[in-house]
Amino acid sequence: MLTIRTCNQLWLCPHSLSCSRKLLSALSLSLKPFSVKIPKMTSNRPSAFDALMSNARAAASKKRPQLPPQPSPKKPKTLDPTPQNPNPNSTPKTDVVSKKPSSCTMEELKAKVPLLKSKAGEFDPNSVSAWAPGERVPFAFLCSVFDLISNESGRIVITDIVCNMFRTVIATTPEDLLPAVYLTANKIAPAHHGLELGIGDASIIKALSEACGRTESQVKKQYQEKGDLGLVAQTSRSSQSMMCKPDPLTIAGVFHTFQLIAKESGKDSQEKKKNRIKALLVAATDCEPLYLIRLLQSKLRIKMADQTLLAALGQAAVYNEQHSTPPSNIQSPLEEAAKIVKQVYSVLPVFDKIVPSLLSDGVWNLPKSCSFSPGVPVGPMLAKPTKGVSEVVNKFQDTEYTCEYKYDGERAQIHYLEDGSVEIYSRNAERNTGKFPDVVVAASRLKKPGVRSFVLDCELVAYDREKQKILPFQILSTRARKNVAISDIKVDVCIFAFDILYLNGQPLLQEELKVRRERLYDSFEEEPGFFQFATAITSNDLEEIQKFLDDAVDASCEGLIIKTLNKDATYEPSKRSLNWLKLKKDYMDNIGDSLDLVPIAAFHGRGKRTGVYGAFLLACYDCNNEEFQSICKIGTGFSESMLEERSTSLRSKVIPTPKPYYRYADTINPDVWFEPTEVWEVKAADLTISPVHRAAIGVVDPDKGISLRFPRLLRVREDKTPEQASSSDQVAEMYSAQKHNHPNNQDDIEDDD
Amino acid sequence: MLELRLVQGSLLKKVLEAIKDLVTDANFDCSATGFSLQAMDSSHVALVALLLRSEGFEHYRCDRNISMGMNLNNMSKMLKCAGNDDIITIKGDDGSDTITFMFESPTQDKIADFEMKLMDIDSEHLGIPEAEYHAIVRMPSAEFSRICKDLSSIGDTVVISVTKEGVKFSTRGDIGAANIVLRQNTTVDKPEEATIIEMNEPVSLTFALRYMNSFTKATPLSSMVTISLSSELPVVVEYKIAEMGYVRFYLAPKIEEDEDETKP
Repeated sequence: MLTIRTCNQLWLCPHSLSCSRKLLSALSLSLKPFSVKIPKMTSNRPSAFDALMSNARAAASKKRPQLPPQPSPKKPKTLDPTPQNPNPNSTPKTDVVSKKPSSCTMEELKAKVPLLKSKAGEFDPNSVSAWAPGERVPFAFLCSVFDLISNESGRIVITDIVCNMFRTVIATTPEDLLPAVYLTANKIAPAHHGLELGIGDASIIKALSEACGRTESQVKKQYQEKGDLGLVAQTSRSSQSMMCKPDPLTIAGVFHTFQLIAKESGKDSQEKKKNRIKALLVAATDCEPLYLIRLLQSKLRIKMADQTLLAALGQAAVYNEQHSTPPSNIQSPLEEAAKIVKQVYSVLPVFDKIVPSLLSDGVWNLPKSCSFSPGVPVGPMLAKPTKGVSEVVNKFQDTEYTCEYKYDGERAQIHYLEDGSVEIYSRNAERNTGKFPDVVVAASRLKKPGVRSFVLDCELVAYDREKQKILPFQILSTRARKNVAISDIKVDVCIFAFDILYLNGQPLLQEELKVRRERLYDSFEEEPGFFQFATAITSNDLEEIQKFLDDAVDASCEGLIIKTLNKDATYEPSKRSLNWLKLKKDYMDNIGDSLDLVPIAAFHGRGKRTGVYGAFLLACYDCNNEEFQSICKIGTGFSESMLEERSTSLRSKVIPTPKPYYRYADTINPDVWFEPTEVWEVKAADLTISPVHRAAIGVVDPDKGISLRFPRLLRVREDKTPEQASSSDQVAEMYSAQKHNHPNNQDDIEDDD
Repeated sequence: MLELRLVQGSLLKKVLEAIKDLVTDANFDCSATGFSLQAMDSSHVALVALLLRSEGFEHYRCDRNISMGMNLNNMSKMLKCAGNDDIITIKGDDGSDTITFMFESPTQDKIADFEMKLMDIDSEHLGIPEAEYHAIVRMPSAEFSRICKDLSSIGDTVVISVTKEGVKFSTRGDIGAANIVLRQNTTVDKPEEATIIEMNEPVSLTFALRYMNSFTKATPLSSMVTISLSSELPVVVEYKIAEMGYVRFYLAPKIEEDEDETKP
């Protein structure tokens, strides 16, 4: 299909010298002022060749049908020279329409995008699209939307913007909705696929320096000044002109490249990833480099919570279906739709299924078309902390409830499919199957005959089979993480099962716990040290529960989980629900649950601690504002070796200036700041209002935060990411709970160091 | 049906070595005129154009114009399996998604077939007109290669200026600066040792040495290199392939930075 083309005019007019002279001088004239006022990088590359080449390109593109971004550039190609559908993969539809977002300019987009802020009800989804229906949605559109959102703080406005953005995409190019949703969520695949971009700063710096013709040290220097590679990318002015400007980026194209980057593995994978990033950067203009880099770093930071995105998606779907009236029993369709999408996402966190169903079957049918399916892990249901047996008895006054041991191990979801395959997922939906081959065997062996498929919620606990004893969590954490062979296992684990979500083709999420538990008991054989049901009693007698709690602690458990049996007893994925309460032994005397906090800074040690850090500044995470808020300094609870270890590991995470998304008082003045990387479980005596710290600022006091008293380190939470640290909402809740329970003894001091 | 027989097989090997670092994947276009390639590097800063005219092949059969996407690294791996004196034949069938390289030893006692998968490459083809240049420098290719290599140990960029004095290559880096001036020199024994400078207008342009060094990988193809310069236009670095065609590299100039922020 391709031939040696006749010469399209490129740089010069070949025929007459005078003509070319004229062209040249015109060029140099237009170039000089142009190149001076360019603040942005790749955006306005002062490329003379662009102007000249564009003619050639336009002519060339007329001859060649424009294709959508190739699903795979590595596809074998046939030698058949006869003209044929050049892209056999594309549906006939995509071939008919031109997919090139060439018709829209950045200026046009910029002028139109603020319209997205209008109330969703008054918004016309065709008013913003600066591209023709059926064309691939330009990436610049998404970036301008991100820009718009980053300047807003109200949740409602942001929801409206995102909703209107989705509607615009649906109105022109519905097939681009999925990549748009993924990019807005800053994800590339469902969590259980385990796909990660896996790009270090070093690769980005390299790609950036090559893309704009600067040296790595220049880029690094600027990074140190600005602390955000995205901003560096945006302000990097290119010193290198181009032969011709690449095609504008599209949402689908960028997302596809991201997926390719994530899938790159093996030899030279870093190099290949870098080259792909470079290709994106070269084509990026205006604010695109900024968001491109942030997306690549998985640090979008535009205050877009997942829940907002889901709500916006639901609302967009409602507007999209305006012709079809919602079921008559629904009062406020918008809220209802948001709820539906959130609910469906919680049982099937896979956009690849939800978005197409939303478009084809509509939001009201979504629960039918997308439901829990084995093989796709859901977020585990979580429990709220309580502080004493009496509180539990009070809360669950009229309902039947049960108490189970709270085992100290790793939460796991075991999926057993009809074909006999088994997968084990962690609480973060990571595939842990390779870490627990013994569990795979045990689970398959101890299911009763007649059980064809199941999804089990359980705790995997280190276990000494000789002494028939539960071992502490620390022992479990010494197990290897990947590709464990059964013969190499030194630490045995026992499965303590407490819930079943799916059995023989039937989802059980909507069943009451009582029913689920019966099914669980009916479906498995217990075998001590391999598979046991969580020890449980059903009682509402205060003393009996107290005794049960003591027993649990004696049996090396953390405490109890108390669950309602009949009322509101369905399984709520990833919710911290009031229907599950946790009661730990050590809650009794102090603030209740421990907190998971992120070290963001440290102070140099003195005296005995010279050479390591003496104290750390910890922060909780505010998921609404996407920021880390300082909560306390911590210096106790460290053994010498632990302190050494933490200091070493954090030393490599030192950054010259605090991140813009750290909230702290200026008076703190730590010696070094860290990248947010680790999560530490910390216990404290109690919570107080603090003028220095910033946790949950504005919630309990307009300009004071909450701080921990006498914090001490329990352990490092390797299963949590910094964004999963205790949220400021949780901190505020704990603070109010404490006030409620101990109105008079705020000065309770605990001293068991 | 496609069948191109090249007696001087080493030529193709050299061509691949010259371009495979600059471009990873490219479309080879085959027509009655010849075997050609045009591709841009991933940064869109440099462009390589290759032409091997049909007359240069011992046997050249190309029934219809076709374009074949190849991974140059893989192609180079295969061509490395050919001996330097081997005759290379490129063969392809209509509708096939592979291409075959056949290597025959000069004595015809060994024949090897290597089949390579083709790929689909979305590339744009640019028409490149012949242009009038402000200055054209013809010099020994080894000399040019040496200069680029030497300068890149000092700095990242090279300023090429042509005045009536001659052509000057200069760079500046952390450790110091370097200037190399070549004068017109036609009084040599062998014509390929001459340096010829044609200048209509003085010109001075800055380029990334990284690319220049990559271009000089074509040095084994030709004893002479031609550098054509015009202000604000890409430089053309051309290596002629005897009786067959050329490899031309186009490189967009760097823009002079006015701040010294970037000069450490």
